[in-house]
Amino acid sequence: MSLLKINNVTMKFGGLTSIDALNAEVNDNELVGLIGPNGAGKTTVFNVITSVYKPTLGEVLFQDKSLKNYKTNQIAHLGICRTFQNIRLFKSLSVKDNVRVSFGVRLKAGFFSSVMQLNKFSKEEKEIDNRIDELLELFNLHDVKDEEAISLPYGDQRKVEIVRALATDPKLLLLDEPAAGMNPSEKSDLMKLIRDVKDKFRISILLIEHDMKVVMGICERIYVLEYGKKIAEGLPSEIQNNEKVIEAYLGDTKTHA
Amino acid sequence: MKSKLYFLSTVLAIFLINLVKDSIDPYYYTILIYIGINIILASSLNLINGFTGQFSLGHAGFMAIGGYLSISMSTYFAPFFANLFGAGVFGENMTFLTVMILGGLAAAAIGLLVGVPSLRLKGDYLAIVTLGFSEIIRVLIQGMDFIGASQGFRGVYQYSNGVKSLQMLDNTQDSFIFYGVPKYTNFFWTFFIAAFIVYFIYNLINSTYGKGFLAVKDDEVAAESMGINTTKFKVIAFVSGAFFAGVAGALYGHFNLYLNPEDFNFLKSVEIVAIVILGGMGSIPGVIIAAVILTILPELLRGISEYRMIVYALLLIIMMLTRPQGIFGTKFKFKRKKKVESA
Ligand SMILES: Nc1ncnc2c1ncn2[C@@H]1O[C@H](COP(=O)(O)OP(=O)(O)O)[C@@H](O)[C@H]1O
Ligand SMILES: [Mg+2]
Repeated sequence: MSLLKINNVTMKFGGLTSIDALNAEVNDNELVGLIGPNGAGKTTVFNVITSVYKPTLGEVLFQDKSLKNYKTNQIAHLGICRTFQNIRLFKSLSVKDNVRVSFGVRLKAGFFSSVMQLNKFSKEEKEIDNRIDELLELFNLHDVKDEEAISLPYGDQRKVEIVRALATDPKLLLLDEPAAGMNPSEKSDLMKLIRDVKDKFRISILLIEHDMKVVMGICERIYVLEYGKKIAEGLPSEIQNNEKVIEAYLGDTKTHA
Repeated sequence: MKSKLYFLSTVLAIFLINLVKDSIDPYYYTILIYIGINIILASSLNLINGFTGQFSLGHAGFMAIGGYLSISMSTYFAPFFANLFGAGVFGENMTFLTVMILGGLAAAAIGLLVGVPSLRLKGDYLAIVTLGFSEIIRVLIQGMDFIGASQGFRGVYQYSNGVKSLQMLDNTQDSFIFYGVPKYTNFFWTFFIAAFIVYFIYNLINSTYGKGFLAVKDDEVAAESMGINTTKFKVIAFVSGAFFAGVAGALYGHFNLYLNPEDFNFLKSVEIVAIVILGGMGSIPGVIIAAVILTILPELLRGISEYRMIVYALLLIIMMLTRPQGIFGTKFKFKRKKKVESA
């Protein structure tokens, strides 16, 4: 069943068309790749899904519901959460507290019971502490949980971003170049971990990656964007041999490498 | 849980000190009370400016609302409250608590009206709006004869024929009672509320719910993406800050026994902002210490009073240059807004 449906979405910034009539979907418990050269419009797709931008044309459906009138914070409550390509961790908070913020989505305690520390509040806080520990353990971040998140090495910061997004308990997780800046072996470890997370939490993942090779191994389906247009979609094996894709990436190496 | 214990033992200590308050030299007692009031004002502003990263410049306006509303109630309605709660110590404290809370609620309600439209907008509108708002409040009070307008307000003459007047009338034979602003503020109330707001903020920012305020300060796009309704959090911080400023106004009014619109001019707001900056945006102990320093300092400088404001300003400038993070703060940097494009 289709969880997310991107229906004919166009996103223009002034004269620039970042996304051009894109159709795509993500099914339940599916790991889908979104690849393409720099500036292809991948991050913009995430910004449209999460209502950071309103699409110029078209709409996004989540569980058959149009996201047109939802604000960014409401979309997290519906069950879509993301990471940021240019890491956006909370700079005054520890690793643990960065993750803690996300539990606000399901928090029963409100302003007054938090201030007055009512009994039910303390119990809930303890449960949240345990959940945070479990999540951090999974990503091998347990030892640094009390450190300032932005003091960690880049790779670990990207992991904290993933844990923070997971902590909102999403049905759909959007990962924006989670392996950027990692070395090849770290990259492949992370990809395995992402796949495990998908199975363990039974969620769907839409994964942006610049480097095609990295996602080939784990994605079930892949979309390829170039200049905002979808130039290919299909199984990894199909994408790998697609002429348009190879051309796009060759062009990319010429201009960017 | 530990914080509850600290809070309760602090309250007990405050209660005990209050028993011997009459043996404190009146001059020092006055300074003590002003320290307490400044702790309340600065801590409540710290919730808005320090922890939530908004910039309010209108705290004096909320203080004025709470102050004027509460002293006009405790004078105009003195007979009513005496009837309701009785005339003894218990009745007086109940009256005080009532008018203090009403003063706080009025400030909070106005805070909601001012805050919702300006906090919904992206960008730094709040500073301008709150600055304008507190000046409007001051000018409005200057035009309100029933609370003394620009003459200030110290009480009301109530005549037996029902006439109420701020001046003694010489053309009437009726008997009257003068209801001056009652001296309800004491060491206990001032420091009980100061301790309460510290406890309040400490609990809040250490709770899962309260981490949302810090998230809003750090990165609004990321906070929204994690499900935080950033506008709501800003409004909550702003309205609770306004509430406590209103309560501080009530404490000030019932201590000074006289309020003048000029008590709440722009400089008063700046003074409170200065305490928060000196203490370190978002540092609870730093702001308490800064409140103590910046209350005592003007007193020490009384001898050279014409240069007081200059010394005061110099101190802040030196502070900004050498320790921009404040006395205790470690992380305060001038906020650099990330552009939305980079989301
Ligand atoms: N807020 C914006 N304003 C103007 N142009 C934008 C904005 N966001 C993205 N773009 C443009 O859209 C294009 C696609 O950007 P992006 O989605 O970040 O690409 P990718 O993530 O694939 O590298 C780029 O040309 C970029 O400059
Ligand atoms: Mg990108």
